[in-house]
Amino acid sequence: MSQTAVIKVDHLTLSFEDYPEKPVLDDINFELKAEENLLILGPSGCGKSTLTHCLNGLYPRELDGELTGDVFIKTKSIHEYSHGEVSHSVGVVFQDPETQFCMFTVEDEIAFGLENKGILPSEMENIIDSVLDLINMTAYKTRKITTLSGGQKQKLALACILAMEPDILVLDEPTANLDPVASLEFIKTIHQLQQQKNFSLIIIEHQLDGWISLIDRCLMLNNKGQVFYNGNLRDGVNVHRHTLEQQGIWIPTPTRIALEIEKQLDHTFDNLPLTVDELASYPLPNNIFLAHINRRSTQLALKAEELIWTKKSTTIINEIDINLYEGEFITILGANGSGKSSLSKLIAGIEKPNKGAIHLYEKSLNEWKERDLRTKIGYVFQNPEHQFITDSVYDEVAFSLRVRGLHEEDINHQVTTILQQCQLTGFEESHPYTLSQGQKRRLSVATMIVDNQSILILDEPTFGQDANSTKQLLSLLKERNETGTTIVMITHDMELVQQYADRVVVMEDGKIALDTSPKQLWEVPSEQLKKWQLELPIQVKLEQRKQKDVSYVYS
Amino acid sequence: MYIHNLNPSIKAITVILSVLLLTMVFDPITPFLFLVWIWILTIFVAKVNIKKYLLYFSPFFIFAAGMFWTNIAFANEPINPTEVVSLFGNTIPIEDIQTALSLSHRILTFASLSLLFLLTTNVVHFILSLMQQCKLPPKLAYGILAGYRFLPMIKDELVLIKSAHRVRGINRAKTLKENVHQYKRFIVPLLASSIRKAERTAIAMESKGFTGSRERTFYRQFTVTTKDWLFMIMMLTVLVTLITLAWQIGYFRWYTGEI
Amino acid sequence: MNNWRLKEVIVMAALSVVFGVVYLAFLPLGGILVGFMGPIGYEPIFGIWFIVSIIAAYIIRKPGAAFISETIAATIEVMLGNALGPIIILVGMIQGIGAEAVFAATKWKNYALWVLMLAGMGSAVTSFIWGMFQGGYIAFAPSYILAMFVIRLISGALIAGWLGKAISDALAKTGVLSSFALGKEYKKGKKAA
Repeated sequence: MSQTAVIKVDHLTLSFEDYPEKPVLDDINFELKAEENLLILGPSGCGKSTLTHCLNGLYPRELDGELTGDVFIKTKSIHEYSHGEVSHSVGVVFQDPETQFCMFTVEDEIAFGLENKGILPSEMENIIDSVLDLINMTAYKTRKITTLSGGQKQKLALACILAMEPDILVLDEPTANLDPVASLEFIKTIHQLQQQKNFSLIIIEHQLDGWISLIDRCLMLNNKGQVFYNGNLRDGVNVHRHTLEQQGIWIPTPTRIALEIEKQLDHTFDNLPLTVDELASYPLPNNIFLAHINRRSTQLALKAEELIWTKKSTTIINEIDINLYEGEFITILGANGSGKSSLSKLIAGIEKPNKGAIHLYEKSLNEWKERDLRTKIGYVFQNPEHQFITDSVYDEVAFSLRVRGLHEEDINHQVTTILQQCQLTGFEESHPYTLSQGQKRRLSVATMIVDNQSILILDEPTFGQDANSTKQLLSLLKERNETGTTIVMITHDMELVQQYADRVVVMEDGKIALDTSPKQLWEVPSEQLKKWQLELPIQVKLEQRKQKDVSYVYS
Repeated sequence: MYIHNLNPSIKAITVILSVLLLTMVFDPITPFLFLVWIWILTIFVAKVNIKKYLLYFSPFFIFAAGMFWTNIAFANEPINPTEVVSLFGNTIPIEDIQTALSLSHRILTFASLSLLFLLTTNVVHFILSLMQQCKLPPKLAYGILAGYRFLPMIKDELVLIKSAHRVRGINRAKTLKENVHQYKRFIVPLLASSIRKAERTAIAMESKGFTGSRERTFYRQFTVTTKDWLFMIMMLTVLVTLITLAWQIGYFRWYTGEI
Repeated sequence: MNNWRLKEVIVMAALSVVFGVVYLAFLPLGGILVGFMGPIGYEPIFGIWFIVSIIAAYIIRKPGAAFISETIAATIEVMLGNALGPIIILVGMIQGIGAEAVFAATKWKNYALWVLMLAGMGSAVTSFIWGMFQGGYIAFAPSYILAMFVIRLISGALIAGWLGKAISDALAKTGVLSSFALGKEYKKGKKAA
């Protein structure tokens, strides 16, 4: 039985007018069948978003460039659709939860799409109620959108699309800006919908864990915008394992671990595992994972005592004591709103506590001159662009050196060294805003280490970064750490904690709930971890599963 | 709650018409009486929270005071220079004082009218109503709403950018040149991120089938009913009556000087 | 409105919000200045009211950009709670006409600095005529009126025209304007260089 294709992409090539010789999408061909779930994988900059714009009716209408080949949506070419008509067949959930709305309340936003479609006002109420029910957000109908969490906003974006009843749903990195808990919740919602609704699904994602069981077929794109694989995900990962790694494409974490094992043990998996269960089913030797060696120095760098910080009569930080030692790699963990960022800003001297004292090298923070303090503590904000103040990468790094009044020659030498460390050589003249996400992040780190700061604090530095840039950033941090810099990193990524941290600080309701080594954190009962919204890293899960199997066998 | 439930467009047009009418008045009493009328409406009919009202209104007293003394200090040549009074040891033509008082009262009256509108109107409904009643193109209406949604994000971002720049070791600007430079440093990242947000929002809206066409249905429908027209007629009648009365009693003045 | 892209409209609205916020954050003293100095205290910074229309016209380069953006900016001002209320929309339109007239005189072809400064002054002229009546400036001594007018003209030229251009150019360098007329021109200039 041959199913009809709801989408047929036929020799699609697309280039923007600035670079007509370098197409963003190069001769793309694929089909999407009714009720099929297709995953599109590729490194950042492979043209995935451009492809989305070809599917949702934006291109060719809004394209400043050239499009050849064709895209058929339900057998009709996108050139023949009238303005707005494609939206009856294709709905898209985008990456950024903040910028998908134009109205102020949940019900108005869902109604917006219905109004565009010309649905009678008398029918809208019912539709709104039923889609809110589908995503379990009935209670939020009259709420203001600004009061929703990121995860709820993404679910609302989904509801808006569902209300329009498209045949094809495109999810363009819908969880990239969500924390792990919200991501899982979103994926769960999609799983549930699949059982109730009949639509085809195109998933464009970086982070694959959680999606795998949904996927029927997979399309792999390289950074030249060409399809190099179209077929079953498992076979694709097996055959193209090296290409995937080279291109910096996110692959499932268990698969990545398996690839590590291959390298270390000179062992080849005939069939690479995609999930923890599959990986656990392999007869793996014990102690394959290099245990992280904890180095705890006793040289006190910063001492904070009885910190209290209140904002608008809510206590954000509630009596915290914390010491930072030289050369530690600390990660701060905890649920959203538990006070992670606030604590880090107090320590960095960006905000002042209402009560309590902070001493940096035995001198109170209040006694430090702002300018001197900044040469000791660096702080990397979540959005690198917020910290950029000049028009070129070189000036950006040189800025604080110039403020200190160093000679241009010395500055040149230092800037060149730092840029090299941060893999930014060759971009000296670029405007910071024109860099890629990963480069922006490394530049913001560069500006914070150029004075040889002894403490570097980072607020979720890997958020929204692809596999390659995360790797590059962490190796840069590790390098600094090994030369004695104390690293304090706020993160949700437990794999990073497992790989890099000497010490973990778990925040809960403005207090430090736990201050220990990662190893001990993994011993904490799972209900407690869940409360803190923490997940065990996959390697630890694996170990635990193996131990369980062992005890099962012997009992 | 009567004023809260009026059609926002009609309410706005009434306010604008009243302001335009008042612009022709140069005596102090007419705007003052109208001001009292607006206050009565605001407090007893709209039942606006008085504390909040005073908070919003207080800057206008300063504004009006500035207007008053500027008028006296920099008044045009009076037509009757002989009629004077003594104030703070200076002799000042009565005419100047009248004009000064009138213009200060005018500021207060304008403010009271605007606050009556602002404190009883949902601004989102105002835009939707402008689209439905005043033919504001949907592309503008929803574009404005989408842009306005960025307000809290932009506020938060400004705070973040300020502290992010402090960490870079930027000091407080002292000279005018530094101030301008610093202003640019703040505003460019804010604008850049807003422009990106605007583009993403536009894509999301179009991908939900928004074309800017007037042929669309409305979940929230705004209509103009008798009560809306009554409000407009009532307001304008009161104002016109006040002006007529003033005219008949003889204290009404409009601009009598030379342009 | 048909030749306007939705994103251009939202960008104009967003720019208005940014300037609204920054204006409130940086100049809370505006009202007090006026209290002590009278209406003239406001004049030096008056040009900030026109900056959005100059930036929008310079970036988007379409007939009507100055007028429409100033109208949008004014509507946003009302939404932000500007205490002058709905009349601001009318004022915005009047200001926008002044700038638009200057761009129209160049047939929307020339966006050099002097044109932008003139456009800022154009808004100053129309807004001043309005202020003469609505604000009652007409009752002031001619020398005072003239002083106010000259300061407003200078402010329109410098703050709206000169600063508006400087900000837009800085913005073009960041690459976020790549799909707008100014960004395209900048890219061409860079490629040629």
